Amino acid sequence: MNESVGVIGGGISGITSALELANSGVRVYLIEREAAIGGQAASFCCKATEVCTKCSACLVPRKLKEVTAHPRISILTNSTVSNLSGELSNFRVEVWQKPRYTSLKRCIACGICAEVCPTEPKAIHSPSPDAIPYCYVIDETQCLHFRGQECNLCQGICPTNAIDFNLKPKKQELSVGAIIVATGFEVFNAREIGSLGYGRYPNVLTGLDLERIFKEQGFLNLPLNGKEAKKIAFIQCVGSREERHGYCSQVCCKYAMRFARLIKYQNPAAEVTIFYIDLQTAGKGFTRFYEECRESIRFIPGVPAEILETTSGELEVRFENIPEGKVERETFDLVTLSVGIAPRRDSWDLARILGINLGDYGFFDAKEPLNSIETNVKGVFLAGTCQGPKDIPDSIAHGVAAAERAMEVLEKCK
Amino acid sequence: MQVKTGIFLCDCGGTLKNIDFPKIKENLAKLETIAFVDISHNLCLEERAIASRILREDINRVVIAACSPELCEDKFKELLKGLGLNPNLLSIANIREQCSWVHEGDVTEEALELITMAINKARLLQPVERKEIPVNKELLVVGGGFSGMKSALELSQLGIRTTIVERESTLGGKLRELEGFYELETSPEEMLGSMIRSIEEDKNIEVLTSAEIARVQGEAGNFAVRIRKEGKEFSRSFGAIIFATGYRTEILPQDFELKPGGNIISQQKLAQILRAPEKLERRPETIGFVLDVSDENSRLPTLSTLNNALAVKKELGSEVYVFCKNLKVDSEGMEKLYREARSRGVVFLKFEEKPRIYGGNGRVKVEARDVLLGEEVTLFCDFLVAEEKALPPEGTKTLSSMLDIETDSQGFYQNENVHLYPVTSGRKGMFFVGGCRGNLDLDRVLTDIPSAAMSVHELLSLGKAMVEVEKVKADTQKCRACLTCIRGCPHKAIRLARMDTEKWLAKIYDLACDGCGICAAICPAKAIKFEGYSDEQILAEVEAIRE
Repeated sequence: MNESVGVIGGGISGITSALELANSGVRVYLIEREAAIGGQAASFCCKATEVCTKCSACLVPRKLKEVTAHPRISILTNSTVSNLSGELSNFRVEVWQKPRYTSLKRCIACGICAEVCPTEPKAIHSPSPDAIPYCYVIDETQCLHFRGQECNLCQGICPTNAIDFNLKPKKQELSVGAIIVATGFEVFNAREIGSLGYGRYPNVLTGLDLERIFKEQGFLNLPLNGKEAKKIAFIQCVGSREERHGYCSQVCCKYAMRFARLIKYQNPAAEVTIFYIDLQTAGKGFTRFYEECRESIRFIPGVPAEILETTSGELEVRFENIPEGKVERETFDLVTLSVGIAPRRDSWDLARILGINLGDYGFFDAKEPLNSIETNVKGVFLAGTCQGPKDIPDSIAHGVAAAERAMEVLEKCK
Repeated sequence: MQVKTGIFLCDCGGTLKNIDFPKIKENLAKLETIAFVDISHNLCLEERAIASRILREDINRVVIAACSPELCEDKFKELLKGLGLNPNLLSIANIREQCSWVHEGDVTEEALELITMAINKARLLQPVERKEIPVNKELLVVGGGFSGMKSALELSQLGIRTTIVERESTLGGKLRELEGFYELETSPEEMLGSMIRSIEEDKNIEVLTSAEIARVQGEAGNFAVRIRKEGKEFSRSFGAIIFATGYRTEILPQDFELKPGGNIISQQKLAQILRAPEKLERRPETIGFVLDVSDENSRLPTLSTLNNALAVKKELGSEVYVFCKNLKVDSEGMEKLYREARSRGVVFLKFEEKPRIYGGNGRVKVEARDVLLGEEVTLFCDFLVAEEKALPPEGTKTLSSMLDIETDSQGFYQNENVHLYPVTSGRKGMFFVGGCRGNLDLDRVLTDIPSAAMSVHELLSLGKAMVEVEKVKADTQKCRACLTCIRGCPHKAIRLARMDTEKWLAKIYDLACDGCGICAAICPAKAIKFEGYSDEQILAEVEAIRE
């Protein structure tokens, strides 16, 4: 009987599950593919205007800190699960860990290595400014040392001797009683809808781009020329509620309205329009927020089919003016595609390794209706957006719920 | 005891080049109560050296000038604890992220100011002890509906003894009224039956029916609850409480120009018709549904409308029209249900202006402007199924004021933070699950239950909790028992208690306290001291930078 749990994925759901279990006395292995934990939610920005709009992005850093400090949680970054054997209460998980070529214990994140690194972009870097663990990592594909040249500038200057080029990928076998899968989602790739021009027109952005822009610089300018954006459109349901993604992503209406409010707050002269199918305004307090939005933001039912760039760099949006019953064109400075939540493309690999089922659109499938946590494999549970779209609070609740289910099976096996 | 401060400066591997460390050391050494000033290159890697230095010099305050406390505070607090020094006697000046990295040019002066602030604060720091307090391992669940029963069953599996208090004479709540779900084989009746059987068999669960909560006193870990059952009152003690009091539904007369009755029916009435369609005189040709008229917080009505619309198609084969504003599909499986409904011929009509509804007996006439068609639509239907608004159950107000829990604008229980902590209330040890915290769809209710179960397990399973003792404390000499703090505390952690004196004074309960500091800020007599952020400590910090 093994009383530890392996959590695959260090995003918000995974770290929530890990924390809950660890706080209840269970030993947890948190297996994260990237060099830092936090996942997608850690890259989202605060959308507060003069008041908090409750986007929940601020929840993530606090949880991250708790996870790293917890004595019962072992974090395995750069790690992927390659095999699973055994059964409930006695799983053996094979994990491959890529080296980061720096010592987590010794690196003090002073950043001097990146200053001397001769490549551009820097081969040695911190995964992000607020990455946890806050430790530098070497990208083998960029680093001159790994490309056959004689460069060890960073190793020479590191004040704590934290850099070691000789580290090798490491295989280890973890012995756990239960497994929680919390591998998260992929943002829908807006390039797939060519007629909307994402990737071709610099002023067509996605919701994820806006998150990054606001997180990094705090305000929005036109990517094309750096001028102020005066006329902005949001297009909802890009990659949701269509043939191949026949579900509602649950987050896009809310983030679009929050961004629209934030843009209006920073620049009251800006005109913001939201094109939608059905606005998802349910949820405590959100109906009122929507009413407030309606005072300053234009809502148009129907989703545009095409965006074209004019010679002056403006974007011409073609949409159906439904009340008038005709097709219209209107120009905007900037268009944001409210991209939805899509399943990870590599879900299939993990599903095969763990023996769990994939559902209709490629999310992991739960065992039965009205039970979104248990899978067809006893002792393997789902948490967060790998099971289906969820916003941050729902992902947290789902993470806690998955932890409870894992606790329960461990108790039963005692 | 005399204050003796040791100062550790860290130049982060020699990378903080814009700070002149020897100069800082020289300046600091002149200050009073300083035992030593050390300069280190990598303080975070030299725990052993720090430890021996602290022990050798026998200091009782530690000041560290290094990187952000986000990164190093926990580590150094652990270190102090290991040396038998109280972790609260540590003060950190962030001279990396908040000084060296954000300024151009020489910042020795600025760094010196930050460090002096930390030293001034350190002088006034007092130890905060940690203590283990006992926690009652029993749980009370208020409400014996689906959420309440399920919560009790989950926690019983985790080894927590649970008592369910149900107002009605039988368990079941709304589950007795529900009509089943499309494509789900188990009917609510079967579900209820099997749940009641499991509860009866479970030795960890006690059920009190026809019982109500009369009074609740105490804090998390030890609530004293008076329970009223069949005219008699008795006391029980619990470590935590889960509220699962559910919701009720009502068709609001103001939303429909005519009172429901005749052929304007509720979902429940429709369910009865579907159960025994042979009782109808003739098969209804057209059935209409109306959504989104009272407000747009309509996940639950949308779910029952889609389910029932599909059931009508299957059982009666009538034409089905759904009038709605924005169809709420943002929960698990809803889009699928919506597509299914459309493929079976359910027609969705979207309105902006509220539809006009005429006639109660005989056929019901609905007039609305369909925004997609851009035309006025008139529909005559045999039955119109009205939107039912979910409302908090009777008694919510009494219970919430008795327990000092807040309610939202609609009267549902208000969780601590709408989006951040869905099942926790403002008071530690009290949780909300299911319909009583708002208009929830089934999927979210099903996530709520294990989520609350986990939180309860965390609080109760060990039978004890570690708390910081008197980190926030009211001075018995200064407290005037004016109740300002009691009214202001969002966590209801303060009560009047008779202390060693005869007077009733404010007492802050450590386990319930969240350390937000509101009471310390609003106390008119300045009687409440928040250790680490007291007026003296903050003023002493300000003193250091006063030119």
